[in-house]
Amino acid sequence: MKFTYSWLKEHLETEHQYSEVVDKLTAIGLEVESVQDTGLAYKDFIVGQVLEEEKHPNADKLKLCKVDIGREKVDVVCGAPNVTKGMKVVYAPVGSVIPVNQMKIKAAKIRGVESYGMMCSEYELGISNEHDGIISLEQDTEVGRSYVESSGMNDILIEIGITPNRQDCLGVLGVARDLAAAGVGKLKNREFKTEKGSFESPIKIEIQDNDICPAFAGSYIKNVKNVASPDWLQKKLKSIGLRPISALVDITNYVMFDQNRPLHVYDADKVKGKIIVRSAQDGESFKALDEKTYDLKKGMCTISDEEKVLGLGGIMGGESTGCNLDTINVLLESALFDDVNTARTGRDLSILSDARYRFERGIDPRSTLEGIHYATQLILEICGGECSEIVLAGQISETLNTIDISGKNIVKRLGLEITDDEIILILNSLGFGAKKSGESIHCTIPSWRQDICGEADISEEIIRIKGYENIPTSNIRAISKVNKDILNSNQKIISKAKHFIASEGYNEFITFSFSDSKKSSFFGEVEKLKIINPISEDLDILRPSLIPNLLTSIKKNTARGIDSLSIFEAGSQYSSTTPEDQINLICGMKYGLSHNKTWRSEKKEFDIFDAKNDLLNVINYLVPGNKKISISDEAPSWYHPGRSGKIILNKKIEIGYFGELHPRIANKFKIKSRVNLFELLIDNIPLNEKKTTNKPQLILSDFQSVTRDFAFILDKNIKSSDLIKAALNVDTKIIKSAEIFDLFEDKSLGDDKKSMAIKVVLQSEEKTLDENDINSLSSKIVEAIEKSTSGTVRS
Amino acid sequence: MVDFTKLEQEITNSLSKVTDLESLNECRIKYLGKKGEISLLMKELANLSGEDRKKQAEILNTLKNKTLSLIEDKTEELNDRNLNEKLSSETLDVTLPVSSSLGSIHPITQVIEEVVTIFGDLDFYVAEGPEVETDYNNFTALNTSEHHPARQMHDTFYVETQTDNMQNVLRTHTSPVQIRSMLEHKPPIRLIAPGKTFRCDNDQTHSPMFHQVEGLVIDQESNMSHLKGCLEIFLKTFFETDKLKMRFRPSHFPFTEPSAEVDIGYTKKGNQLVIGEGDDWLEILGCGMVHPKVLQNVNIDPNSFQGYAFGMGIERLAMLKYGISDLRTFFECDLRWNKHYGFSPLNFPSLIRDLS
Repeated sequence: MKFTYSWLKEHLETEHQYSEVVDKLTAIGLEVESVQDTGLAYKDFIVGQVLEEEKHPNADKLKLCKVDIGREKVDVVCGAPNVTKGMKVVYAPVGSVIPVNQMKIKAAKIRGVESYGMMCSEYELGISNEHDGIISLEQDTEVGRSYVESSGMNDILIEIGITPNRQDCLGVLGVARDLAAAGVGKLKNREFKTEKGSFESPIKIEIQDNDICPAFAGSYIKNVKNVASPDWLQKKLKSIGLRPISALVDITNYVMFDQNRPLHVYDADKVKGKIIVRSAQDGESFKALDEKTYDLKKGMCTISDEEKVLGLGGIMGGESTGCNLDTINVLLESALFDDVNTARTGRDLSILSDARYRFERGIDPRSTLEGIHYATQLILEICGGECSEIVLAGQISETLNTIDISGKNIVKRLGLEITDDEIILILNSLGFGAKKSGESIHCTIPSWRQDICGEADISEEIIRIKGYENIPTSNIRAISKVNKDILNSNQKIISKAKHFIASEGYNEFITFSFSDSKKSSFFGEVEKLKIINPISEDLDILRPSLIPNLLTSIKKNTARGIDSLSIFEAGSQYSSTTPEDQINLICGMKYGLSHNKTWRSEKKEFDIFDAKNDLLNVINYLVPGNKKISISDEAPSWYHPGRSGKIILNKKIEIGYFGELHPRIANKFKIKSRVNLFELLIDNIPLNEKKTTNKPQLILSDFQSVTRDFAFILDKNIKSSDLIKAALNVDTKIIKSAEIFDLFEDKSLGDDKKSMAIKVVLQSEEKTLDENDINSLSSKIVEAIEKSTSGTVRS
Repeated sequence: MVDFTKLEQEITNSLSKVTDLESLNECRIKYLGKKGEISLLMKELANLSGEDRKKQAEILNTLKNKTLSLIEDKTEELNDRNLNEKLSSETLDVTLPVSSSLGSIHPITQVIEEVVTIFGDLDFYVAEGPEVETDYNNFTALNTSEHHPARQMHDTFYVETQTDNMQNVLRTHTSPVQIRSMLEHKPPIRLIAPGKTFRCDNDQTHSPMFHQVEGLVIDQESNMSHLKGCLEIFLKTFFETDKLKMRFRPSHFPFTEPSAEVDIGYTKKGNQLVIGEGDDWLEILGCGMVHPKVLQNVNIDPNSFQGYAFGMGIERLAMLKYGISDLRTFFECDLRWNKHYGFSPLNFPSLIRDLS
């Protein structure tokens, strides 16, 4: 909310500097968002008077003026049609800056005549759009004086953020009241005059639904003259950035920003019969003051007459009964509308208005009558006319809520020693009628504090005024230990996995949890993942997989000329939009060059075995100790069918996939080279709850080991794992390892054949193997492999 | 009688002329080999007797030892010279480039790990909740009813599924983890909940996805002064400065009462923010005493238990601590950015070694 310091001082009597007041505002929870010296832009401008005025010798539309600016008389060439001798003007001297375009005034020759400075229009000062002529000041304005001072523009504009609970501070009066309670001044007494009225209002008011509108006060004022508002009122509205419209409208706006009391004026001659406050009917529509037509629904609060809807209660008036300069008779409304209903209607129709903003936060019921009397007076003063007796439909509750609080509880909550007496003092300064009542403190909640309903709320009031800086700082280490692991097993696994994978060369990316349904159907059922109000069309679903966003990032990075990319993301993916259907996993991708040609190595591209290697390494790291890992070629459909695999832990747990991205998907993402990736299914990793710190026993043989190499010609579809398995099974004790060390395909072997070579390490734990032992084992190995693969050994 | 002096002279001379190991070896054979001059003289000793034999033996031994020592010196000298020659021919261009194969950890992960480390030391544990939440957990249970004005400040993403006839949402804050945790565990509770959050807002200072960390402490005595103490330790440790200035000021969150926002002192030096110096204030987090209605909603008696909660933005912490100026760059996936702002995978935040 915006207000000026001078406006605030109309309610607050204070000796304090504005800077102290500003600090206090923030300290009591009315956070100052900006402070602006409104006179700053005009500080160089001076009030001048045109002494002489004659036609420019070389230009028809220009005039030569001599202007008295107090300290001297200057020549100014002026193009304004309205400049006349004797006129009091705003003079911008050489060196000053014109606010609207930041132009610096220089001494200049205009069509051969020297000109020093400029006389300004309202447009040039940024006050209004008026640029047809220069400003003509009142004749009694003192020549030579600073324009800022004489116009009263030397003010401070303060903008504060109002939290949703502080509806009472949506008017300058409320802000002043809070400051007074905090000790920076005294709230000025307001003279409250009630308007008696000389006749009965011809427009009756009927409330049909008291739940949506508990009270509606009306004042009928006849024979008004809706003029432009007087200067003081226009200035006030302009000072907080509002555009003056006409006296009737300006008065309602002024009362709203001053006292947080929304009002509305109807052109009474356009109202047919009586005013009826009722729920809208389905299918009804209404054209509001913003010139838009709204389709109403049952439950919305309308202000209607006997024919039509005139306005939406607490939100916006209608076009049909709007006031203009010809309006003669008016009905002024001051009402109470239900906060929840106002919020719902405003949200359903997407109408934002100052009235809605206030009513949905709760309005001081007592402002209903105060506001209507005050605004009626202003209308009579400014627009003339005669007012009726005030009509009140519905009821304004006179009783105030009360609450008993305990000083002990307050101390316990705040951690601050404070006496009951001080509590009572603070509460009373805020308008809570607080007094001691036995062990507790009895509080009467002021009508303007709709937000206060419990002891906790009161504790905030106390500490707000006492000052948050007075809360001591206590050590938390000593109290109520909670015996729980800081990270659970799953959280530890994720953290360890991230670091390990990054150490394998991958850079961690974090992408949005959303993705593009058009590109994600490969990975899941996109219809089940829709976001109702997506941020953009290409982020319209929750991601069914980490893959699509990472592919998009590959595309972006390669476009920037990056030819080697190792990236991973640890995050969630979704199988539906229910809270339960979220799983955690890690996806790593290696794309492009493993390394470029360097001075010591040839260029090499990443392949699926990089992904496989990295995935197996991280699994071995995360699942230490004895385990059985097997690899099958049944990866999900988003992998290349012939270049992908699935890793199974202990025969049954699917723990990860690796391989090349299906080329069809790469195409869809316009990625040209092969993408090698893995997915680690974090949630499937067995949690080692009963962790043993013992490692398995290590048995080392002291006898010499022997290695033997064997090469086989095999059918192409034979897997290396078959060879290794066959070899190892020959003698699980003596055969320590079997590894593939060579692989090649050649026409000479036959079209569907390949050669694969295996290196076997033999070592006994009981003796040194002799030639016979070795030969016998070798033949068994050859035999076993030939048998299981139908291959033949190469000699 | 052999002229030993002459022989010694001769040995010394010929050794000094030797320039390679091969001739040195020839020299050695000439004098000390089986048929070398000294060896032959030694054999001849057998023909002598008495004093002569003793005397000559002594002289011969001395000569032999001296010769050995001269050969040894020469060997060393020659070896040295050879090595020096080899060294000068083995020079490599050590400025030739090598490459690092380590990847990087995202600043968000780093900051979350730092936060967990600090609060872990204060006996907090890490709780989690799903990113799709029920309307009840995200709002209603947190004392934010359907038409509460505070709801409009959260630009909520809605999804098509429902729970109890209310549309499910993408959680707008990490606070629903409070609700889940309190329903699951009885007090005392002391947790933090880092995670992803979502708001339907996308501009220079807003991202539709961002990260928060929530804190919750519920027991029988924790009050606002503990909240202050807790955050003071955290902020000083996190920003790694004891000079940190902290300011609490009143604010409003539906689920805390009293509520506060916390500012930290900073100054601007050039383009950089310096935390812990200067008189300007920067908002860093929101907090407060858990609202009694929230406790009631999770079946905890607010007359017996109380406590505090706080929440802060991870990106903001990262930006302030590490001088990252643009929020949106966190999720742009520009490898150059990740390599620049990312952290070594071997860097595990620790209070024993280094936090960052």
